[in-house]
Amino acid sequence: MTAYLIRRLFAAMMLLLVVSAVTFAIFFLVPRLGGQSIDELAVQYVGKDANPDSVAAVKKNLGLDQPLIVQYYDFIKAIFVGAEYKFGPDASKCDAPCFGYSFRSHIEVWPEITQRIPVTLSLAVGAAVLWVISGVTIGVVSALKRGSFIDRLAMAVALLGVSLPIFFTGLLGLALFTSQWPIWESVDYIPITEDPGEWFWNLIIPWCSLAFLYSALYARLTRAGMLETMGEDYIRTARAKGLRESKVVVKHGLRAALTPIVTIFGMDFGLLVGGAIITEQVFSLQGMGAYAVQAVKDSDLPIVMGVTLVAAFFIVFCNLIVDLLYAAIDPRVRYS
Amino acid sequence: MKTKKVSAVLATALALALTASACGDSDDGDGDNNNKNGKKAAADAALESIVNPSSKKGGTVTFEHSDVPDSLDPGNNYYGWVQNFSRLYGRSLVSFKPAAGAEGLELVPDLAESLGQPSADAKTWTYKLRKGVKFEDGTEVTSKDVKYAVERSNFAPEALSNGPTYFKAYLEGGDKYKGPYKDKNPEGIASIQTPDDHTIVFKLAKPFADFDYLATFNQTMPVPRAKDKGAAYVQNIVSSGPYKFESYNEGRSAVLVRNDQWDKSTDPIRPALPDRIEIKFKVNPTTVDQHLLNDRITVDAAGTGVQSKNQPKVLKASEKDQTDNPYAGALSYLAISTKVAPFDNIECRKAVQYAVDKASVQQALGGDTKGDVASTMLPPSVNGYAKFDMYATDGNKGDEAKAKEHLAACKQPNGFTTNLSARADRPDEIAMATAIKASLEKVGIKAEIKQFPSGKYFTNFAGNPSYVHEHKLGLMMTAWGADWPTGFGFLDQIVNGAAIKPSGGNNIQELDDPKVNQGLSDGIGMTDAAERTKKWGEVDKLVMETASAVPLIYRKNLLYRPDSAANVTVTQAYLGMYDYLLISTNKN
Amino acid sequence: MTAPIETTAASAEAQPEAVLAGAGRSQIEGRSLGQIAWTRFKRDKAAMAGGVVVVCLVLMAALSKPIQAIFDLDPNKLNQDLVDPALQAPKGAWGGMSWDHPLGVDPGFGRDLLARVIEGSWVSLLVAVGATLVSVLIGVILGVMAGYYGGWVDSVVSRLMDTFLAFPLLLFAISLSASVQDGFWGLTGLPLRIAVLIFVIGFFAWPYIGRIVRAQTMSLREREFVEASRSLGARGPFIIFRELMPNLVAPILVYATLLIPTNILFEAALSFLGVGIAPPQASWGGMLTDAADRYESDLQYMFVPGLAIFITVLAFNLLGDGLRDALDPRSK
Repeated sequence: MTAYLIRRLFAAMMLLLVVSAVTFAIFFLVPRLGGQSIDELAVQYVGKDANPDSVAAVKKNLGLDQPLIVQYYDFIKAIFVGAEYKFGPDASKCDAPCFGYSFRSHIEVWPEITQRIPVTLSLAVGAAVLWVISGVTIGVVSALKRGSFIDRLAMAVALLGVSLPIFFTGLLGLALFTSQWPIWESVDYIPITEDPGEWFWNLIIPWCSLAFLYSALYARLTRAGMLETMGEDYIRTARAKGLRESKVVVKHGLRAALTPIVTIFGMDFGLLVGGAIITEQVFSLQGMGAYAVQAVKDSDLPIVMGVTLVAAFFIVFCNLIVDLLYAAIDPRVRYS
Repeated sequence: MKTKKVSAVLATALALALTASACGDSDDGDGDNNNKNGKKAAADAALESIVNPSSKKGGTVTFEHSDVPDSLDPGNNYYGWVQNFSRLYGRSLVSFKPAAGAEGLELVPDLAESLGQPSADAKTWTYKLRKGVKFEDGTEVTSKDVKYAVERSNFAPEALSNGPTYFKAYLEGGDKYKGPYKDKNPEGIASIQTPDDHTIVFKLAKPFADFDYLATFNQTMPVPRAKDKGAAYVQNIVSSGPYKFESYNEGRSAVLVRNDQWDKSTDPIRPALPDRIEIKFKVNPTTVDQHLLNDRITVDAAGTGVQSKNQPKVLKASEKDQTDNPYAGALSYLAISTKVAPFDNIECRKAVQYAVDKASVQQALGGDTKGDVASTMLPPSVNGYAKFDMYATDGNKGDEAKAKEHLAACKQPNGFTTNLSARADRPDEIAMATAIKASLEKVGIKAEIKQFPSGKYFTNFAGNPSYVHEHKLGLMMTAWGADWPTGFGFLDQIVNGAAIKPSGGNNIQELDDPKVNQGLSDGIGMTDAAERTKKWGEVDKLVMETASAVPLIYRKNLLYRPDSAANVTVTQAYLGMYDYLLISTNKN
Repeated sequence: MTAPIETTAASAEAQPEAVLAGAGRSQIEGRSLGQIAWTRFKRDKAAMAGGVVVVCLVLMAALSKPIQAIFDLDPNKLNQDLVDPALQAPKGAWGGMSWDHPLGVDPGFGRDLLARVIEGSWVSLLVAVGATLVSVLIGVILGVMAGYYGGWVDSVVSRLMDTFLAFPLLLFAISLSASVQDGFWGLTGLPLRIAVLIFVIGFFAWPYIGRIVRAQTMSLREREFVEASRSLGARGPFIIFRELMPNLVAPILVYATLLIPTNILFEAALSFLGVGIAPPQASWGGMLTDAADRYESDLQYMFVPGLAIFITVLAFNLLGDGLRDALDPRSK
């Protein structure tokens, strides 16, 4: 188990390194391939008064004059040991984990990210609770009542759900419930620490929009999984032993059917926490995703790096948790 | 005094312009939300008067903004609203008079005792500081603090790159000085002299009669050298005004409370009525509008008006009386590159002047609440505006026949293909470009719309001549608002040949016309204010003769004032937003 | 399917794998796979309906230019007289619907929405199909190599796939689309945007298909007919192309059909976020962005692009589900 964990953690670290390297490459190599010079890259951060002097100063300050590999190394190093930056009379210290400073505003990136994590997390957790409960329930009921009206209806709705993009359902929800029938004034993120009621109230539309999409998927998956397991021999054995049907369904059927769903949930949830980009955009919520989109448009590399790494971290982390959870759900799984 | 005259001329010009823009539907219905005077203000009332006047002290004025400031550091910002807002916690040498209508463009001494004393050649400007003005920590403000503030804001782009650099451009030796962070010599730049603690002298490289306007920039708000941390100063700004920072949360919010070291007797212009000022950033734009409408906040800090999608909501009869629709001091225009074929031929540029259907552009933008059709570079709210229309067409709808005549004269009778650039993240600009593309097509000019991120628009694309030449950006959408509201302040950066820069410039049409250049330098050397003002109108005509820019829309904002907002008036000095020095609240 | 649409990493994952067993089994029965599948497929009304809609959509997209010419539908013609500028809404009820403009007009310029939907369809389908081909190509090549050769090839490809699956894809896609500037490799304007989108979307989706192909190849490799071929002296490439490929067609087809709707959503999402197809070129995602700013005054607008996306995605999903069921007797 310990060896397994260590191996997994090592793999996760490698993965994060790759992710950061790819992000780096997207920012520096792709423009280079398109024929942009470093000066052209640097000049956008100078602002109003670009002259050779100020371009050179900016290049030096942002480290753009260094070879790519050195820049990358410095970035990674800063995450672990912090770094010093000079945007004024004295150098300022950026403590680990230091994701550097915004190329444009010179603001430290890490505190900005941590400020936004609660927004995205609130969004993801609330929606996840909703979609897991509703998706799995619908899936189980559909599977048990296979072919019935309920099953057909549920599957039809689920098909709608997977075919409707969040940027349409979310928008529609927003238009209907903040404008047409203004039950909500608008949707805004209120920190849970500030006012839990408002926090909850404000996030209802985003949660429902997100959950609609996912519960449709989960209902389909659960139904398929249930149908498969309920046809297995051991279910027949369990029934033959005279177990109550509810016990058969929950303890034997659902448990096995849930295993693949947990994997998928781990991936989905990890992705979502890493930035519910579209949802945040639709509802103008200032989470990590929205932060990253703006940074991409501003070519603000340190911010994009920071958010991408945090996002990748959540994906990796959730996958790891899921793999560990397997043992609890599926007794056949052993770690070696 | 010369500068006084400027203001007088300006005031008359403005009074006319503002009256024109304020459409006069003023029925004084006795609504249910009567204010103190028992009368409800009408639409556009804040253009010429102070709406809801009050002398009640106390309460909290709340601002919300859908974005973040470029920086609240007075030495590191360019946004008009920050210039306006920063006057709450900083005192510049000179300021605009917090007053209604045209009076709001008058210059008044703030930290200085009087307006600048120019030498006869307008190259040396002397200011005497008021005595007894203190920082929030109780130390007295000296001329050295002002000098230091100018140095750090203009000469240290490695740390503070957001602000304009006019001081650098005009001060003697400004091109040599490396700024206080690199040049450790405590004497600083030689052309700003501080003979004593209350005198500051600026020595300029060339005559500059608008210097008092530069002195209104928050870059002259004093900064104590010992407290300066460069880019991090914004975290601990030292106040010299009536309010100081109680808290500052980068990118989130700031709270200002009364500064007990501020002395009303040294400050004739600030009423400082509210006890507390709160500002929140990154609020969902719809929420900001909603909060205004139901009176939860006092002001939308951006000052650019309600969102387009909420425009119908506030234009309803029940809300309309609480709106103001002032000029935003800005012009949207189509820059025509003078260096990209076939626009290097003036006839082809004239063809575009006639081809563009400005009425369609205006409609695409959202009709007349978004702005009036423009025919000059100077907007009506800028000192020096003279009304004329060199390329008049019927109903501003464009004139295909005339456009084709000029195309023929340009030896392109069948039209040609070109590129039209716009900023991808500005839907307004894309909308106007779309309308322009359609009207150009009617005369055979096929323009492909190219979109670029606004963060790099001037540095890497439209404002970068080598890119423009290489990629044949013949037509470029852009907008401009003056850094200070005079003809020179408006025109110099966008039409002066000297403003063509290898990158990041605003003269993107690369106009280098000897007559225009001469007109500008003649004008700014003129010590007679009336003559100077007249000169700007002439320069405007010279620019239009080059046909290098198609003025499209004098932009207007649709502002909304909540019931509880008191002392509300529009200031043209800050791009037609409300005056943040005056505003207070009726709420407790 | 591809993760990024805030849909899901693995929504399709469990399903296409189910195809495999079925495809193989029908082979053993020695009957024509196509015949069996077609009989099954014909019985599935939903799938047939989806198929018909897909055919219509493809025709509409392919013939969009002639259609626009014949019916005088110009997606870029402004009809500003049909729009109230202050209200930012079309004049008249139902988003300005009329005989001339059956789906109404857009609130900004009065452009005909039917014309714009048709214009958007070819962009959308071209990108989605192009991207699908890219992922199928990469996925099949790498998947077959990993599955057939095993050993270090398999380890490398599998690692690569795991890595890709852990990427924050949408973030990468946004960064990549934004960092490609006009004039990249000689392409400009719309062709460049389309090429970038095809590459970005396709490039990140290949591991999903790669995994399926790898697993399938691995099991096929051990079959008797492959053994037989090998013992007769056939080399790797021959076996791959003559023996394995025919057996991989069915799962690839199903998977590709199910990947197209995801890619349509992906394209629309990128355009919605402002890094995809740029206006004034009509695109479904772009129209939704536009509608997002106008719902206060013109609620109807969002339904036009929204339903266009919905119908297309639904049709492809039905077709894909139907194909899977038809090719996999077990799932019925």
